[in-house]
Amino acid sequence: MEGSMTPTQPMRSGGFWAEAWRRYRRRPLALAALVFVGWLAVVALFAPAIAGTKPVLCRYKGHLYAPCLAFFDRRLEPAVFARDRFRGTYPQNLKEKDPDSWAIWPLFFQDPYRAVRENEWPGRPANPARDEGHPSASHPFGTDQYGVDVLAKMVHGTTVALLVGFVSMGLAGTIGIVIGALGGYCGGWVDMVTSRFTEIVMCIPTLVLILALTAIIEKPSIWKTMAIIGATGWTGIARLTRGEFLRLRQSEFVMAARAAGAGPVRIMLRHILPNALAPILVPITFGIASAILTESALSFLGFGPPPPSASWGSLLNDARSNYSMWWLVVFPGLAIFLTVLSYNLIGEGLQEATDPRLREARK
Amino acid sequence: MTAPLVEVEQLQTYFPIRRGLLRRVVGNVQAVDGVSFSIARGKTLGLVGESGCGKTTVGRSILRLVEPTGGRVAFDGLAVRDLRGRDLRNLRRRMQVVFQDPYGSLNPRMTVRALIEEGLIIHGLGSARERVDRVVRAMERTGLSRQALERYPHEFSGGQRQRIAIARALVLEPDFLVLDEPISALDLSIQAQVVNLLIELREQLGLTYLFISHDLSVVEHVSDEVAVMYLGRIVERATAAALYAQPLHPYTLALFSAVPTVDPARRRRRIVLVGDVPSPSNPPRGCRFHPRCPLAESVCREVDPPMVSLPEHAVHCHVAARELARSGGNASVAAATIAALLADRATPPTATLSPG
Repeated sequence: MEGSMTPTQPMRSGGFWAEAWRRYRRRPLALAALVFVGWLAVVALFAPAIAGTKPVLCRYKGHLYAPCLAFFDRRLEPAVFARDRFRGTYPQNLKEKDPDSWAIWPLFFQDPYRAVRENEWPGRPANPARDEGHPSASHPFGTDQYGVDVLAKMVHGTTVALLVGFVSMGLAGTIGIVIGALGGYCGGWVDMVTSRFTEIVMCIPTLVLILALTAIIEKPSIWKTMAIIGATGWTGIARLTRGEFLRLRQSEFVMAARAAGAGPVRIMLRHILPNALAPILVPITFGIASAILTESALSFLGFGPPPPSASWGSLLNDARSNYSMWWLVVFPGLAIFLTVLSYNLIGEGLQEATDPRLREARK
Repeated sequence: MTAPLVEVEQLQTYFPIRRGLLRRVVGNVQAVDGVSFSIARGKTLGLVGESGCGKTTVGRSILRLVEPTGGRVAFDGLAVRDLRGRDLRNLRRRMQVVFQDPYGSLNPRMTVRALIEEGLIIHGLGSARERVDRVVRAMERTGLSRQALERYPHEFSGGQRQRIAIARALVLEPDFLVLDEPISALDLSIQAQVVNLLIELREQLGLTYLFISHDLSVVEHVSDEVAVMYLGRIVERATAAALYAQPLHPYTLALFSAVPTVDPARRRRRIVLVGDVPSPSNPPRGCRFHPRCPLAESVCREVDPPMVSLPEHAVHCHVAARELARSGGNASVAAATIAALLADRATPPTATLSPG
């Protein structure tokens, strides 16, 4: 009971997202999935320092360099090493050409794009190729038929796996929210046009559409693949956004905002979108999982980004030619499975944490 | 008498019913059909009626939250229905609204401060610091403490939320408030507090209210004038004192008879209406109340009753018009006759279930 002029202290609690996080934390599996994805992000960010053949940091002829950045973009390789004819092999060249040089090496000396040759690393034999490359102490996940280390490939493939998810769903989310919001808020012929357009895109099987678009594109790259996945994956998000906007447009707080004089842009961005975001975020999370799967499928079919972008799916593709090399299937397959599972668990956790019906039940 | 602040003439709000693939209009829900009234500055008009009779739509049409299909609405001499853009926005600062459900009318993602401040931002009133001052002043007016500023609506009880909603309406310093069932969703003990707060604010700030409710005793307490609505029309309008002392329309009588009272002297015979409210998409010919009216005559089925006006009382009813003419315009005699007639003819409560 409240006093008329002395309001009681309301129960203290944070905003909606603080509350959602509090509920999310109570789900150990969802939390573990979040930790796993966070760990993948760290791996992706530090991939060249984890596995590679280029020094993380080295001092050469009086200057400091970080040649490992070349794994992100070839242009980042310091020009001095090309002039001095290193040809991509650092350990011996550094010592021979500048005896005073020093270097910090990656944790795991293996290259994701080529086999390490004999004595490239002091005392290390050449990578085994083909059937001999099964997992061993020096190659925990084995090597592929050209002798390229699978672990190194997978570490560098993490970037692709994460980027595919975020970039393509970022694009799909943007398209979907804009189209859905316009249709749901404006109604009338705008809704008619956007809804029919969404349905038409939906009718075309996604993988067929992606394959067709991939065939048209000149010079395929990982970015173009992401763009294609994003440009075809927005339909579900658009439909859900439309529904949420349609529902919230009728709500009394939107009516109250209109009574205060708020315009349509303000109502959409400030009143409807924040309330619609939680339910939209759930399919986006699931979308990230399916984008990773789609990219893997494309790479497996050989329509993925061309080398040298290492993706987990392309490892599976390599496995196709030689079934005796089981390690080419098991490890990348496991990585894809765990990542997709994690995103699904995160999506589910998000749903449980933000679903208003479950919140009511808690009260 | 000064010019009324709000004048509504023949207000009509229809909602189209669309069907089929091409969304063709196949009919209209005649939510409000020819409603007229006026409210003088500083006065309160109570609008009563059962659910679905269109009283909420009247309020929203005046505020242009739904677009009326016909009629005239004037606010302080401005033709509300013709306003566009900036003029409409300026008008919205002067007329505000408090909704029924304080759980639905406050955006759950905004803090109390953001909720109340928003109107000021939209209308570009004051600097950031002045705005906070105004927000705090509005909150103190409604009995909220400044500590509530950075909290979210879900942290408050229903009564406190309604205070937030009232503060949000007041911060723009409006002249006119539409109170759309502001207490119906609240606990009984809190209803009185909020009603008293509203009366207090009216006295302090010289506000004009349109008080929409289905609670007859609260309306009597708050209003200067009361209008009774049935199926999109006003059936009777009078000063609160006149209406409660001498109700003339059979529907008004039936409504009053449904109000529980503790005073045995005031206790009336319960008049139970038979049947349901007809659909507003297909209202009956003649008097809209005739299918349920115990006093209905053949003329009621054919002719829409015109308004009969006394100085403080107006009613749309053939029977009431006849009784008034017979008694020479004496409302209390006519009211007594109609009440007696109703008591005679109304179905006894044991025979049927009471609708609603």
